[in-house]
Amino acid sequence: MRPENYQAKNHPPSHEFELNFGPNHPGIEGNYAFKVKLNGDTVLSARADGGYLHRGFEKLMEGRLWIQNIALVPRICVPDPVPMEVCYSLAIEELGGLEVPERAQWIRVMQLEMSRLAAHLFAFGGHAATTGMYTTMFWGVADRDLILDRFEELTGGRVYSIYNIPGGVRREVPDGFLERMSSLLDYLESRLPDYDNLFFRNQVFIKRARDVGAMTQEQALKWGVTGPNLRATGLAFDVRRDDPYLVYDQLDFEIPTEPGGDALSRNLVRRSELKQSIRILRQVIERLPSIRGPIRCPIPNPLAWNVPAGESYTRVESSKGELAYYVVSTGGDKPYRVHVRGPSSMHAVQVLENLAVGSRLEDVAQIMFSLDACPPEVDR
Amino acid sequence: MSNELENIPIRQELEVLQSGQKRTNPLANVFDGLVKFCRSRSMFMLHYCTGCGAIELPPAMTSRFDMERLGIQPMVTPRQADILLITGYVSIKTLKRIILTYEQMGSPKYVIGICSCTVNGGMYWQSYATAKVLRDYLPVDVYIAGCMPRPEAVISGLRELMEDISSGRAESWKKYYQHYDYYLGNQQKLFGEDWQTPTDIIAEARHYDLMTEHTLGEHTALLEKHQKPLEALEMRLSVKDKQKV
Amino acid sequence: MSKELNIWLDNLLSDIESVQFQRRNSRRVRVDVGSEALPALLELLQGRASYVHLSAITCVDWIEDGQFELVYHVWSYETRSLVSVHTRIPRDPGVYLSIYDLYQPAAFFERDIHEMYGLYFEGSPDMEKFILTEWNGPPPMRKDFDGEAFVNEHFHWEQYHPQWLKDLEEEGGGITVRPEDVR
Repeated sequence: MRPENYQAKNHPPSHEFELNFGPNHPGIEGNYAFKVKLNGDTVLSARADGGYLHRGFEKLMEGRLWIQNIALVPRICVPDPVPMEVCYSLAIEELGGLEVPERAQWIRVMQLEMSRLAAHLFAFGGHAATTGMYTTMFWGVADRDLILDRFEELTGGRVYSIYNIPGGVRREVPDGFLERMSSLLDYLESRLPDYDNLFFRNQVFIKRARDVGAMTQEQALKWGVTGPNLRATGLAFDVRRDDPYLVYDQLDFEIPTEPGGDALSRNLVRRSELKQSIRILRQVIERLPSIRGPIRCPIPNPLAWNVPAGESYTRVESSKGELAYYVVSTGGDKPYRVHVRGPSSMHAVQVLENLAVGSRLEDVAQIMFSLDACPPEVDR
Repeated sequence: MSNELENIPIRQELEVLQSGQKRTNPLANVFDGLVKFCRSRSMFMLHYCTGCGAIELPPAMTSRFDMERLGIQPMVTPRQADILLITGYVSIKTLKRIILTYEQMGSPKYVIGICSCTVNGGMYWQSYATAKVLRDYLPVDVYIAGCMPRPEAVISGLRELMEDISSGRAESWKKYYQHYDYYLGNQQKLFGEDWQTPTDIIAEARHYDLMTEHTLGEHTALLEKHQKPLEALEMRLSVKDKQKV
Repeated sequence: MSKELNIWLDNLLSDIESVQFQRRNSRRVRVDVGSEALPALLELLQGRASYVHLSAITCVDWIEDGQFELVYHVWSYETRSLVSVHTRIPRDPGVYLSIYDLYQPAAFFERDIHEMYGLYFEGSPDMEKFILTEWNGPPPMRKDFDGEAFVNEHFHWEQYHPQWLKDLEEEGGGITVRPEDVR
């Protein structure tokens, strides 16, 4: 009902209008907003508006113990939480001079790749939903759930595992886990042709996604694009290979690239990465039983642990791009400063604003999902 | 309120419900039961991911757990939605949008607080940016605790809400009208004295005949003092026009 | 090629006087530089040594020294190494130069530092608030802002006192150590 004091306002006639896109909008990934200026259906300018998921992580971490923050960090990126834990643990290990046992490193690699699989399935499922192909989303989410089951078996948590601690991992791999993991990989591999037929070779998808949100390699480098989005412009760069951490230098995998730089290429890169992750996981399953030893190195009493003073900058490749932690310690039992460099802080703000200009309104959601932007990483 | 509205059926039904009397016409009782049954079996939940608990909703909605078999479906617009799911922590910026959204939803409407953060701040108890107790700002029907609750827990919470609706216990949306002063006071404390929403809750409370002595109070007086006449929302864009650059 | 470039860079950086240079390992370099020389050094790194990717800009609040430390992490795709350039600027008035004309990703980081620390970057394209648009308090990441005190002042807590705890207290038990005592 209209309030009594309602008065219609007369606007001057114009072909340009402004539209609030989000935060309450099904085409937005997470809780994020856009203000777009339109002429007809064409976007003239776009402006990102974040902060809906701001929790002040960096401030919270300064007030908690080193070990307590392990429970906090996975919340920074919800679809892909494991790289957060690993990266933060790596930073502390570098500061404290801890030597992580080899077995723990292999288990961490296994988790990272499982998480990447889950996040990629979720990412292109979400992209499919923005182009109206809900079946792919249903399949992707259902297959992701099978990976979450394995996470639950390994770590006890479905989404947030809180399994990596400085010095190693919390628990030993359960009996029979690797066999179940192996059969899951067989299943996922057998599903890939189905996904190809349903989605990646689907003319509806190809026609919708080709040349949408395209950028050149030069632009991508200039805007600070990383991860699969950078590889979709033809540059074979991967932190796993070029700045190796854990045992990635002992693993055999390829870095898939695509030349296009558009939404289609970004999804095809993700599809190829699924295959590479399965390949890495198979190598881990093969090698892990032969690597014996402890799963974590001894650490001081974590409730009164004064990490030596210093600073470290660690980077890992998350499913969305380059993830980095800058951790400063002054020798106290709490971090002095933790800075999280989420990959989406570039993708969801500047890159998205640039790519949306000139595209049609119905493609804005598609561009956001094809960049796999994760708003909580931006807001922190 | 004009005189024509006096005879609207919903008003009679509410009166009967409030006084606890059974209606004399047996057919009306059957009809009431049918309405409640239908309400509980076709719940449209608003598609708004307010926090990290939203990651467990896609599994709950899609093939594996399949909420749609219970008649629960996502709905994209607040005007047609019945349930507002608050999935996780609410930052102050989001809480404003949640209240706007909640007031736009048509009655009867239900609120479910998912995740521990909506109960008492959860692990963000220290955070300057998140609101702690959701119940202070909105009436909540069901809480589902956990960080984050599994899809099974979400579904069991929704089933509890279904039972509450069919038995007539889920009436918290009336509380928002009946105790508007209290909720508004908490909102004003957080957002500042000049906080206002485009929805005229007091007029709606009059319309539903849910005015009590707690609807109006010092906070609504403050609201009236600051209330500006409602006009089309202005939006400013400060971006440089990219075409000119 | 990349090895040569690394050696060339090492020699170059150790020659410049105002620069303190420290190579941690083959892929991590720490450089300390005065605030006036930083833009020139970054230009050198980007233009001559292929450090084209700005990974992050971090601000650290050293409140006891009255200084902000700015750390620029730049990565080279060719030499595969990361240079962290550290510089310190006075906390008051907290104004520094933007490096947006060298690295475009700097716009986001500078905007973020501006709202979290109140540090102003001259020449940055966009110093508007992004995350804290509805926040009226002081820049929250500064060390002199006490988040916990703010929370206690502004938010209401639900007291958790369930029946089982009351039963325990009736028998003379109860909570012996509270979290705030430990902290």
